[in-house]
Amino acid sequence: MAGVIAGLALVAAVPAGSAATPGGCPAKWLGGWQALANRIQAPVYCPTWMPNPLDAKIGGQYIDIYSVNKDRSYLVSFLEHGDAGSGDVHVNFRGYPGVTKIPRCTTVVPNGKKTIRGTTPCFADAAGTRTARGITATVYRVNQDADQWHILLAWKHRGSLYTVSEHVIAPYTYRQVVKNLDRLLAGLVVVRPEG
Amino acid sequence: MRFTRRRLLGGAAAAAIGGVGIYELVDQLSESPTRPQADALASIPEQHVFDLSAVQSEGVTVLVPPLHSEIVTATLADVDLPKAQQDLEETLRDLDARYEPNPAGLGVTIAWGRPYFGRVAAAAETHLPIDRRADKSVLVPERRFPSDPDDTILERNDIAVLLRSDSLDSIADARKAIFEDLPFFSVTSIRRGFAGGGFDGKQSLPKRMAMAAGIPGADLIPDTSELFLGFTSTQKAGLGPRLIANHETLGFVDTRGGYFHGGTHMHLSHIAEDLEAWYLNFDFDERVLTAFRPGMTDVKYNAQTVPQGPEDIGPPEQLTEQYKATGRFGHSAAIQASSRLQQDVVGPDGTLYPKGTAIPQRADFNTLDNPFAFTSQPERDKLKREPAAGVHFVVFNPSGDDFERNRLAMDGVLPDGTTLEVAQRSRAQGFNSVLTTTHRQNFLVPPRRHRSFPLAEIQ
Repeated sequence: MAGVIAGLALVAAVPAGSAATPGGCPAKWLGGWQALANRIQAPVYCPTWMPNPLDAKIGGQYIDIYSVNKDRSYLVSFLEHGDAGSGDVHVNFRGYPGVTKIPRCTTVVPNGKKTIRGTTPCFADAAGTRTARGITATVYRVNQDADQWHILLAWKHRGSLYTVSEHVIAPYTYRQVVKNLDRLLAGLVVVRPEG
Repeated sequence: MRFTRRRLLGGAAAAAIGGVGIYELVDQLSESPTRPQADALASIPEQHVFDLSAVQSEGVTVLVPPLHSEIVTATLADVDLPKAQQDLEETLRDLDARYEPNPAGLGVTIAWGRPYFGRVAAAAETHLPIDRRADKSVLVPERRFPSDPDDTILERNDIAVLLRSDSLDSIADARKAIFEDLPFFSVTSIRRGFAGGGFDGKQSLPKRMAMAAGIPGADLIPDTSELFLGFTSTQKAGLGPRLIANHETLGFVDTRGGYFHGGTHMHLSHIAEDLEAWYLNFDFDERVLTAFRPGMTDVKYNAQTVPQGPEDIGPPEQLTEQYKATGRFGHSAAIQASSRLQQDVVGPDGTLYPKGTAIPQRADFNTLDNPFAFTSQPERDKLKREPAAGVHFVVFNPSGDDFERNRLAMDGVLPDGTTLEVAQRSRAQGFNSVLTTTHRQNFLVPPRRHRSFPLAEIQ
């Protein structure tokens, strides 16, 4: 029970660094997201809230992966390992400019001395939708690669696919992760490329 | 005997978990299924036969399991065995007289472990049935299987009593009569659980219980799922018919003088289930190939009852071919060479069992025990108060060797000697990657006429 209470308290907390300018990406986080939008020459979604203790400052203390591929798709990942026993908090943002089809991920199955390679949808087991701020996102429960063991929301915007996901792991239960994702979705703001 | 179901009171769920026990929620969250008239007890020489009603689920005939199941294990004090035999039999006959032998009443199955037969060793040497294929007793020593953790506990109880009913009160009555009112037993564990519901389209019992207990992954269980893992397990064609698990039916076993004619073998284990791993890492298609076999592309998305009749089972060579092609094998496909008849068999009573008929009779049920509701050895058993998803696996086979053939096949060790080389408990190995077996024991279930301290009268 103590863990649940701690989890609920975490959900309610808002990190000091996440104060948003009205209607926009928080000032402390904007630089990184703007640079990303400029680099891929496509809109990106900046969060205005993150589950405690994370912030969404690209280049900040919680950044785990910042990856932009040749096709301009990106993965921005924020992670707190919680080595002191507080648990892991892991949130991923993805974008696929000019693509709306769900990407396929590589599967590798060892088979004796051989390896069988294949592909599978990166996001699967759709389980309804969530709507906030004009975005209707599909909930995916089975996801691959960096989103494995995450619940993921995916939506389309002007011919591109975007996702946000969070790992289901203590201190956050499945239900709390869904709530976190609802709050993340409701706080997303578009950052457009400059120039 | 009918019982009055408690009314669901507002907010009762949380209070029940903390106060009077989570399993009373079963009574509050469910309605008793309609049950068929029971045969007279005299016509059921087998203890393990427990007739269930049938319903249609997604076009498949499915047996409706009892809402509640409980297993009590115990060791024996030093007792006068013939006297104890009389007293236990008197108690059991009293229960027989008071309850119909179906889930509306009560099912009582008395099973005896190897330690008990050590107390009647001379008679056991003469009378215990012999498995003809294995050339050894039907009651084999407990063992760990390749996918079992090194710390799976191999138990040594004298007795296990399986109690099955739609009524928790009936089970409590039987437990008290056998284990409290009689002086012979020292209870080592109590294991409780539930199954079913959901066939009428309402939220099933495992889903509701898991949600009420706050089990990780509970939200991910399909609403009407019969068991935690999302597939219907009690379809009629997937369970052995009435007498097939008897020692004598398939000819696998020499019952010698016939003392145990009508008996069977029972394996009991507790298996922890990682529901989040199952539902967050395996998409529906992968859950299907894991539970059944690769290549089943015609299963409707989110189906729960996937037909598993003899005509739905592939040939044995399909398993190895699919494994070569995909590196995966499904649970059902892996065990079918040992769990299904490979040719027609006519039983000693003239019953024809066609090729493809299932042999094991499962009586498994979901649990929130972690790992037991009670244990006399909490440290050894790693008892925890927090509820956890699991299954108390109970299965009747003609012999212990027959059970082992099935269980080994589940790990890719096939009855024809083929071994599918796969890392134990890897994702390629089907269910094993999300299951952890904590305890195992084998038992012999005597026929009803010898259920009480078998062989004590001729020791």
